[in-house]
Amino acid sequence: MSSATSLVALQDRIRRIERPNALRCGVLPFRAPAIDRALPGGGLALGALHEILGTGVDEEDGAAAAGFAAGIAGRMGDGIVLWCLKQRDLHGPGLAAHGLDPARIVVVKTARDDDILWALEEGLRAPGIAAVVGEVGRLPMIAGRRLQLAAERSGVTALVLRRWRNGVEAAAERARPSAALTRWRVAAIPSLSSSEPGIGTPRWRVELLRCRGAESAEWTVEVADATGLVSLSAELGDRSAAPRRVASEPWRRAG
Amino acid sequence: MDPGFRREAKKEEAPPEAPFATVIAVGGRQLLAAVNPASAAKGIAAGMPLADALSFLPGLLTRPAELAEDAAALRRLAEWCGRYSPWTAPDGADGIKIETTGSAHLWGGEAGLAADLSGRLARQGIAHRVAIADTLGAAWAVARFAASEAEEGACKLPVKTGKTGGIATYLVVAPGETRAALAPLPIAALRLDPAIVEGLHRVGLRRVGEALAMPRDALARRFGNAVARRLDQALDDLPEPLSPLGEVPTRRVRLSLPEPIADPADLARAAERLTADLVARLEREGMGARRLDLGFHRVDGRVEHIRIGTARPSRDPAHLAKLLTGKLDTIDPGPGIEDVILAAFAVEPLAAEQIENSLPLANSPHPNPPPQAGEGARLERRRSPSPSPASGGGPGWGLGLAPLFDRIGAKLGFDALARLEPRASHIPERASIAAPIETACRERAGTIPAPQKPPRPVRLFAPPEPVEAFWVLPDDPPFRFTWRRRTHRIAQADGPERIAEEWWRPDGQLIGGAGSPDAIRDYYRVEDLSGRRFWLFRAGLPGDPPPRWFVHGIFA
Repeated sequence: MSSATSLVALQDRIRRIERPNALRCGVLPFRAPAIDRALPGGGLALGALHEILGTGVDEEDGAAAAGFAAGIAGRMGDGIVLWCLKQRDLHGPGLAAHGLDPARIVVVKTARDDDILWALEEGLRAPGIAAVVGEVGRLPMIAGRRLQLAAERSGVTALVLRRWRNGVEAAAERARPSAALTRWRVAAIPSLSSSEPGIGTPRWRVELLRCRGAESAEWTVEVADATGLVSLSAELGDRSAAPRRVASEPWRRAG
Repeated sequence: MDPGFRREAKKEEAPPEAPFATVIAVGGRQLLAAVNPASAAKGIAAGMPLADALSFLPGLLTRPAELAEDAAALRRLAEWCGRYSPWTAPDGADGIKIETTGSAHLWGGEAGLAADLSGRLARQGIAHRVAIADTLGAAWAVARFAASEAEEGACKLPVKTGKTGGIATYLVVAPGETRAALAPLPIAALRLDPAIVEGLHRVGLRRVGEALAMPRDALARRFGNAVARRLDQALDDLPEPLSPLGEVPTRRVRLSLPEPIADPADLARAAERLTADLVARLEREGMGARRLDLGFHRVDGRVEHIRIGTARPSRDPAHLAKLLTGKLDTIDPGPGIEDVILAAFAVEPLAAEQIENSLPLANSPHPNPPPQAGEGARLERRRSPSPSPASGGGPGWGLGLAPLFDRIGAKLGFDALARLEPRASHIPERASIAAPIETACRERAGTIPAPQKPPRPVRLFAPPEPVEAFWVLPDDPPFRFTWRRRTHRIAQADGPERIAEEWWRPDGQLIGGAGSPDAIRDYYRVEDLSGRRFWLFRAGLPGDPPPRWFVHGIFA
């Protein structure tokens, strides 16, 4: 074998080792180049478990996280989206504005975190489900691994929104290591003011806190629109619009 | 021919040999409510004053009568008697009536059934008398009054008697011999009021046969319709239907075990076998089950139930068995289970082709096969164009999801599942409601909300939460509000959007009722300094009383 082909083969092998197992199912790109560049595979890994947190007061209500999840789930195929929650405060028309048709949603309301995790796992194993979304407070490592394995086996993506009622639980859970493939944090930030009075284009600060095979980053984006896509907020001259990298470009941490 | 069944039971736990009675206070006096056979043999009867009874029998053990528990125990026993027929009900305070048409053959005839019942009741320690006859009235009469006659040998009755434990405890009246069996019985055997019985005695009618011989209109003139009615009911000239204790199942399969079982694995196997039998029957009829009840009849006379329901009619034996066995740990087998009965309460037509789609085939590729991702490959599921309402609805409501909803419904309850159904209403809390999953299976009403409406929040609070708001001018949005003990300063605001009660609908009122100041809401979409966007509204017009502010939802 010539050295060129062996080099290519070697690079291929390294890439296959680097890329986590979960990317077998493909990715869902965000269509925002800055975000897609930061994620391994160029998009959100399908058939995996992803966590979405809120910030500050939104940890209680989970509105921004719900909008972000709706934008992702709405673009995943055509089947039913199973949304498991503990209080009935999900509003269909609001989700439609972010790209998720409420007719696709089946809501499971239950009082306990364990039941929500069970329902998520059952949903991951059933045929015909496009995505499952769950709102939990406590996500033990074991349960997270189970969800991750079930997602890998069936190719259905699981999005877990973390909602906490009190600060003690929040502090404990935030510090806990997670089995999810990626961990995001979404916060609502002041909208892009335009010349007209009133609220301009609503915006989020989306942070990728943790991702296997990539480093953390954050972006300022406009909220997901009716097609479910976020777009980088184009506020010229404002540094916060550019994605911030913690380390320099050419090196990517493996694993 | 409708054989009725009559049983009399006195429930006691004291050793059967010692004389024992329960006492109840009636109008200031202590009377005996019930006596056991040992005290009856010594001449004590129910209804006797306690003082008299104690003077007859100083060694009589007594206990206060607990009528509520007795009634509950009777109901449980009636439920247990469901192993013979689903039409059972308690009768009065000390009897059970059972409709045995169509089930007597399973025990080799009515005598066999009576013997089986009598034997099991004797094992449970219940003193009883069993009678089977053509009508409920005749069975009641024979059970209460013929037994003592047969023991005394005072008259010859065309009944077959049987003994359990040496006491004549069951009697079977041959079909067609009802009149002959009733004739020698006293007139009180007709379930009449004591006053009417007294009146009949006064005119010299002491036996049922004598009353039968009298002309009916004479009896009716003197004593009213009751006598004639009871006579007709006893002779099957007037139907007397039996309303059963529980719901009557539409299909029922039974498994009787030669020896009681208690091991959960055995119970699961019994459940699976019964499910297979029921499914075979449903398949022949082209039906699917919606509600099933699995009853475990214990040796000591109690019944334990497992109830399951499905979102869609199903006759998949594996799926139904899994739903049933999933709840097996709620069953307490006690001393052992001797009968398992699977009853279907609701069945619906289920065509054969609907089943094939719901079963995942073993060799078929998974519906969401993970594609081969090569170097840099990206995959995106493309969104299909929005479905039009005319085409009947949105994304495929695959029948493969029915088992998932059945499982979730079985564990969390079917009201945990809901769909977000749009409704044509301006009032936000009615624009999208959580509809139960079963109705949503069938129809897809409503339209997809139009995107050009003013934006709606992702989270909606029900009910809206009151806030304390501060504004400069009454028509303005507030510049500051306090919610959940946090203060938010408002940077931007959109609005107002006025939503008022929908007077054209009967239920279109908002909180407060028609014409109240709360009937008008002005909604504002506000953004605070940190960027969070709320949906506030002012309820009522500015004036006196001052309008109140609420937060109804939060935008993403």
